[in-house]
Amino acid sequence: MNGVKNSVAGSLESSDVLVTVGPAEGAENTLDVESIVFKQFGARIRSVAEEVMAASGVRGADVRIQDRGALECTLRARLETALERALKA
Amino acid sequence: MFGLEERALVSPKEMEERSRLLASRGLTVPGNESVILGFFEEERLVATGSLVGNILQGIAVDRELEGEGVAATVTSALLKKAMQTGRRQLFLYSKPDEAKRFEALGFTLLATASVERTGLGASLLEWGSEGIDKWRAAIAAKAEGGPEGAGVAVVNCNPFTLGHYRLLEYAAARTPRLYVLVVEEDRSLFPFEVRFRLVKEGVSELKNVVVLRGGPYVISSATFPSYFTRIESGEEERITELYAALDIELFGRYVASALKATERFVGTEPYCPVTSIYNRMMKERLPKGGEGWPPVRVHEMPRFEMEGMPVSASRVRSLIREDRMEDVRPLVPESTWKWLVSDEALPVIEKIRNSESRH
Repeated sequence: MNGVKNSVAGSLESSDVLVTVGPAEGAENTLDVESIVFKQFGARIRSVAEEVMAASGVRGADVRIQDRGALECTLRARLETALERALKA
Repeated sequence: MFGLEERALVSPKEMEERSRLLASRGLTVPGNESVILGFFEEERLVATGSLVGNILQGIAVDRELEGEGVAATVTSALLKKAMQTGRRQLFLYSKPDEAKRFEALGFTLLATASVERTGLGASLLEWGSEGIDKWRAAIAAKAEGGPEGAGVAVVNCNPFTLGHYRLLEYAAARTPRLYVLVVEEDRSLFPFEVRFRLVKEGVSELKNVVVLRGGPYVISSATFPSYFTRIESGEEERITELYAALDIELFGRYVASALKATERFVGTEPYCPVTSIYNRMMKERLPKGGEGWPPVRVHEMPRFEMEGMPVSASRVRSLIREDRMEDVRPLVPESTWKWLVSDEALPVIEKIRNSESRH
């Protein structure tokens, strides 16, 4: 899917996560994860993000996750919102 | 943080409160802001932050609310504002002792510099973690297999004149390879693509010269904002020194090391105060080297003169403004002249005639 727009959801406040989405350089999705609890949850955050991205059908998006210790439900909500905004016509 | 009301600051009263808050945290008012946010607790301004183009600057939180995560609130709000305007490459200026706090929020520290004489210091950070490494790898790739001890000249060339040519010819004769970085920020009267092309054409006969785009880390509005404005007060001079120091630190750490460069070439600058401060700071700092980068020798070449007058881009622009094209001709190489009399140049010449801009 072309036409990925810049979008943001969430915040950098404690227990939240900031998700930013923009157009990637190529046709593939790219994902960058940073977290204050990366050691324990980095892999989990990544797999949740990949799952939500796949479900949204997005293509060619550059997704950056700046996690400040968010719960998984928060992460999913922020991701879904950011992707929805990025794909809105 | 709950209960803080966020709104854009507009009234003079609010601006005054903001200046006081900034001053209480040892910060100055950035200037040229595009967005200024205030955070209120029952009508009292307790935090502020602003955007200057793609730079987050002037972030301050009232001492009483320190440690409650308000800086994260301010930073989030600014990031959202910036990204709404379509910017993804974002920078942040902070005091050196507060850089860590912003690193924890997802910024990457690019450089810290201070000037002993004035006691001013600043750290430059960028949002995300990939920008500088990607960019450094890209320029390092251009230098792959290239010689050690290369030279670098950073030029704006607005437009390319015989003065620039002489400087680059001089530099190319003294180094195994010369990298010419053309300032990419599009704030000059001649657009970047034109300046870049005229430099390339102008040096095509110098075989060991490689012309590169300056990119976002070499004299850009992020790394050296005051390069693009006029100096009017002593305060601005002190701030220009600080920005110059940061730019020099970035140059040493990321550019010189990637290009295997140990020599930097500059022209003397008798007229432009910003450039002359920049040259002075380079001569002071580059030969000392820094943490993680080796010393770089600075070669300052006297400005090339013809008939007792320095050949400079600003003189070329003045002559264009005065409609004295025949006097421009001897000051520029054939390639620049051809462009100046082409149809493509008409809008630029029109712009120069209607402008008083230094750049």
